[in-house]
Amino acid sequence: MSLDLIAAGTVAAVVAAATLRAATPIIFASLGGLVSELAGCINVALEGVMLVAAFAGVITSAYSALWFPDAPLWLHPWLGCAAGLLAGTALAGLLAVFHLELGADLIVAGIGLNILAQGLTVLLMAHLTGDKGSTASLTSFALPSLRWPGMGGVPVLGVLLNGDGNAGHNVLVYGALAATGWVAWALRHTVFGLRLRAAGENAEAALAAGLPVRRLRYAGLLLSGLLTSGGGVFLGMGYLTLFQADMAAGRGYLALAAVFLGGRRPLGTVAAALVFGGATVMAARLGLLAVPAEVVFMIPPLVTIAALVLVKQHQRLAARRRAAAGRAALLSS
Amino acid sequence: MRAPALALMLMVMAGLAPAGARAAEGGSPRVAFFVNGALGDKSFFDSAARGLRQAEADLHLATRTIEGGYDPTRWESGLVDLADSGDFPIIVTGTYTMGPLVQKVAPDYPDVTFILFDGVVDYAHCACGNVYSMRFRQNEGGYLAGVLAAGLARAGTIPGAGEMVGLVGAMPIPVINDFAAGYGAGAQDAAPGITVLRQFANSFSDPATGKEIAEAQYGQGAGVIFQVAGATGQGVIEAAEETGRYVIGVDSDQAALYRASSPRRAARILTSVMKNVDAAILRALRLWQQGRLPLGRTESLGLKEGAIGLADNPEAALTVPPTVRAAVAAARQRIIDGTLTVPTAFAGGQP
Repeated sequence: MSLDLIAAGTVAAVVAAATLRAATPIIFASLGGLVSELAGCINVALEGVMLVAAFAGVITSAYSALWFPDAPLWLHPWLGCAAGLLAGTALAGLLAVFHLELGADLIVAGIGLNILAQGLTVLLMAHLTGDKGSTASLTSFALPSLRWPGMGGVPVLGVLLNGDGNAGHNVLVYGALAATGWVAWALRHTVFGLRLRAAGENAEAALAAGLPVRRLRYAGLLLSGLLTSGGGVFLGMGYLTLFQADMAAGRGYLALAAVFLGGRRPLGTVAAALVFGGATVMAARLGLLAVPAEVVFMIPPLVTIAALVLVKQHQRLAARRRAAAGRAALLSS
Repeated sequence: MRAPALALMLMVMAGLAPAGARAAEGGSPRVAFFVNGALGDKSFFDSAARGLRQAEADLHLATRTIEGGYDPTRWESGLVDLADSGDFPIIVTGTYTMGPLVQKVAPDYPDVTFILFDGVVDYAHCACGNVYSMRFRQNEGGYLAGVLAAGLARAGTIPGAGEMVGLVGAMPIPVINDFAAGYGAGAQDAAPGITVLRQFANSFSDPATGKEIAEAQYGQGAGVIFQVAGATGQGVIEAAEETGRYVIGVDSDQAALYRASSPRRAARILTSVMKNVDAAILRALRLWQQGRLPLGRTESLGLKEGAIGLADNPEAALTVPPTVRAAVAAARQRIIDGTLTVPTAFAGGQP
């Protein structure tokens, strides 16, 4: 392999590793969005769930160190992680109660919860730390990174597997990949997945078939909260090691877009999330090439619009082809 | 956002109430500080709030801080509400975004004094005899940061870094471009031919993107990054800790923030370019109390006036070679003497 090729490969690997890192929160949230969408309950509160999960995770990990000073250090981030997942799932549960018990409109309730999460996290942070911006004054912990041993010297693969700093990828990056596989498999190959989709596709038919639609929708929303919380916890305890007011910065809404961009399919959704992550990374790196900032800022929205148009176009062409094939079959018979 | 913001505002007001009550008994004048954003940015607005607190202690003024939130459509009405209430003879507000709004509102309330920091109104085109504006020559602070960063990068003492320094900005707005203009000039003067990377995050509150950009710049070989990005900059500081490179903070002493909670992070912050908004506001309020505030004009504050400066960070200062420190001190002296003029991003050569 020539040196040029290795250099180009290394750059590609660095960008790929960064893309994976930037996409992880979106992957988690989009899987969450997908599960609830397939259950027939669109979860607009992804953004709020992420915020609450990030907040609970960071705060719990910091306070865990204060409360249990004698506990081993590895315990604090995992306690934080558990608290984050729990808090985010609880917020999704609140949405489920509002919608399924009290009959609130999903979109309105979801937006309401986003606003609640935005304000509540700042309120609690101000109460606990006296600071409304971020938790910089607290010593919080990050979840560990997993490093493949013995890859330090391997040119391209080492960077891809262990990141450009050779510190490895955060455990939640692997968590996102595992969650992708699990959701894709569970939706397709388990009884629960099939019933969940049935409840979303046609609730009356599912009811007539004796399926507990309401319980399935609860499960969908709670699972959605759990998955999305993974993204929030990663933001506060992996990507960064702090909570910053409004730190989800629209990633929850991007994730919702990814669900539809991906055609409501697991792999498509994750691919769309990766495209969004890649657009962020590209925007972050293009500045190195003296591209004007205004152009860079346009990349993520342009990629979104272009991808939506392309997907729609593709679907229309496919539909036309099917129709043409159908006509041809009719004519020839 | 409305309900939680209201709750927050009530909390802030509740916190300030005793001070207000005390002041009302003494009949001391009340100062309103309108924040077009929220406190807690660890830099600009927090510094201003410190100035107000100081004024409360030193000048016995009653102050009240009102956070307008991040929705720009609510700022003008917020300002009008304050002026119209008649409770506040002085209204303090800041940033270039607020300049045009003050210009619009101030002529309608001639009895209210407006102190506008880090922003200007166009006195030629408005009856703004009740407005005092302060602008900061942040390009001078940026210049010193550039000399420091480039000097350190050229000294070659940072493992893995090349002859390259970086800048991460929040948005390409005039004030940030002004920091950047000074930074680039300082870097070129200290180390001619050095590469200066520059990138904007397009957000003041997205540390994740800030970290991504910083990792790209450090990965490219930047030894030092100057972050002018509000809360986004916290991501840059995290990236510095992870890569073992250096960062220069902005507006407040950012090393002091992390000294207790994360000493390893604090050690990566070489210094912070301080925009001493607190001192400037305190000075303006003192002048106002003495009846000497030069209303109806703009004052320009920089290194010479002590409104711009570098913060000391003893942990990181050890890594800066004495020659580089001497170069920074010399540049500072030349700017104060007036023998060195720093380029600015503002039209007409003046902010």
